[in-house]
Amino acid sequence: MQKKYCIQFASAKIEDLMFRTTFDPVTREGEVVVNLSIIDKEDLDDVLGIFKMAANSGLTVSPYIRVLHEGDDVEGISVGPGEVGLITMCSITIDGILLKKGVFVKHRFGGLAEIKDGTPLRFTNVLAYHSTTIDPLEVLMFQEITSVIEVLKTGSGKILANLREAPMAARDDIDRILSDMVDVDITGVLEVGEPNVHILNVPMERDRLGIVAIGGTNPMAIVQEYGIGIRVRTMFNVVDFKELYHISEYM
Amino acid sequence: MTDPDVQIKLIEIMRIIAKSDKPLGARLIADELQNRGYTIGERAVRYHLRVLDERGFTKKHGYIGRTITEFGLKEINDALIGDRLDMVITRIEELVYKTTYDPQEKKGNVIVDVSVIDKRDHEKAMDILKCAIDAGVSISPRIKVLDEGSEEGDISVPDGKFAIANVCSITYDGILLRNGIPSTLLYGGLMQMKAHKPVSFADIIGYSGTSLDPIKIFINKRSTSVLDYIESGTGKLLADLRYVPGSAKEKAREVMELAKGSDIGGYLAIGETGEDVFSVPVEKGKAGISVFTGSNVITAIAEAGIPVNAYPAYSIMDYNMMKKLE
Repeated sequence: MQKKYCIQFASAKIEDLMFRTTFDPVTREGEVVVNLSIIDKEDLDDVLGIFKMAANSGLTVSPYIRVLHEGDDVEGISVGPGEVGLITMCSITIDGILLKKGVFVKHRFGGLAEIKDGTPLRFTNVLAYHSTTIDPLEVLMFQEITSVIEVLKTGSGKILANLREAPMAARDDIDRILSDMVDVDITGVLEVGEPNVHILNVPMERDRLGIVAIGGTNPMAIVQEYGIGIRVRTMFNVVDFKELYHISEYM
Repeated sequence: MTDPDVQIKLIEIMRIIAKSDKPLGARLIADELQNRGYTIGERAVRYHLRVLDERGFTKKHGYIGRTITEFGLKEINDALIGDRLDMVITRIEELVYKTTYDPQEKKGNVIVDVSVIDKRDHEKAMDILKCAIDAGVSISPRIKVLDEGSEEGDISVPDGKFAIANVCSITYDGILLRNGIPSTLLYGGLMQMKAHKPVSFADIIGYSGTSLDPIKIFINKRSTSVLDYIESGTGKLLADLRYVPGSAKEKAREVMELAKGSDIGGYLAIGETGEDVFSVPVEKGKAGISVFTGSNVITAIAEAGIPVNAYPAYSIMDYNMMKKLE
């Protein structure tokens, strides 16, 4: 039970959600970690269009989403009158899947990754998970420093991404598990580094390798950049994968 | 990709040029590099400068020297994230070191937040500012208003704007340090207020492990409700948390009480050794001290819909130059 006032760091929330992830990419069954966004009913078509564009450009963790209308109830999640909710996959799903296959990754930070001509270049601003109670990728959306639209249009700009590190010994397993994930359209991994080598300008600890994932909040950042109102609750909960549908079924 | 060792030197040269208000030549740059712990000869500096010119980061002005370009400034802000993880706290420690205010003698420097606002909003902004200061959400009622074009230390106000300098809560860390008390700034956060009393931190962000100022993050996210607090006594205000050794707790209290004599107040609590302060855990042997941040008065202006460019913990200023609003 949560106390009324409770300070919980993002790193603790993440490990809790990783533990609760049960999705297996091979059987396609189990629960995944999701974010919840709330928008005005009138904006739904525009927002779905943006989400689809983002999914086609590889700027989402997965194209599987769920649209929640007034009166819908998905495992206790519902929305108020005049609002629409969008359930999207959070990048922590990737970490949860790795954990259940025996690979425990440690989250370093969330931040802005600069993309140049379609290739990730470097992190430019970051916020460590162990020292914040709000999800870095949620706060960085509102700092007017993302340029996800630019990335969509020109291939260069700044997107939200996060970095975790894994033990070097698990390298082969990681490659295999990540490729299983791609088979179920979980394509959020931006870059897997070499052990002991800088990844996107960030030094690694000895005998560890870095994995950079695309933030699940990038589509929401685009919505925000277009000036459409959106409220976002990241690291919201876990939801059965069966409750999500491929975005192409919505438009 | 440039060799990491070379890149560090290139960035350092750019930072030196960017800090100067006039073009710099290779010799001066080499001297300054020496001060900063890099041993690079003048000739090598010239070589690096040519590389920087080619990349468009610096511009050569005949024999006078180089200046930084817009593109170069952007590069300084974006490059070498590994080196910038603790940049916010390092800059703050520099300001804390430069704080000289003595509450006994009532003179010296304090740390200020600087906010830049459009001149057209002057009257409305000043009204809200007065209102917020009267409500006691800042740590000192004294401020300094800087008109367009004026320069004060490293603050320069662009045309069509004016700037407000208010006392920053980190001034406490400076005053504590002057009194031999080691205080470590840990978090900036949102304090939930009820019936004019602080109840609990709602969210916090650490000063280390981020390349962005936590207070600025909260301001930009528009997560405060200072105006609600002023009206009803309930709302979310900005506050920060530092710790001092448990043994220094009483001395810290003395110093902070003494500072009240100079209108520097606004500390919320000094916790018991090793105990949570407003729901935030504190290490064994340490006592947490929570203070309102001066930025609350600025956030109030932003909440009223006036565009504000806020620079928390920006510079130092002679406290006696700052005046209460009439």
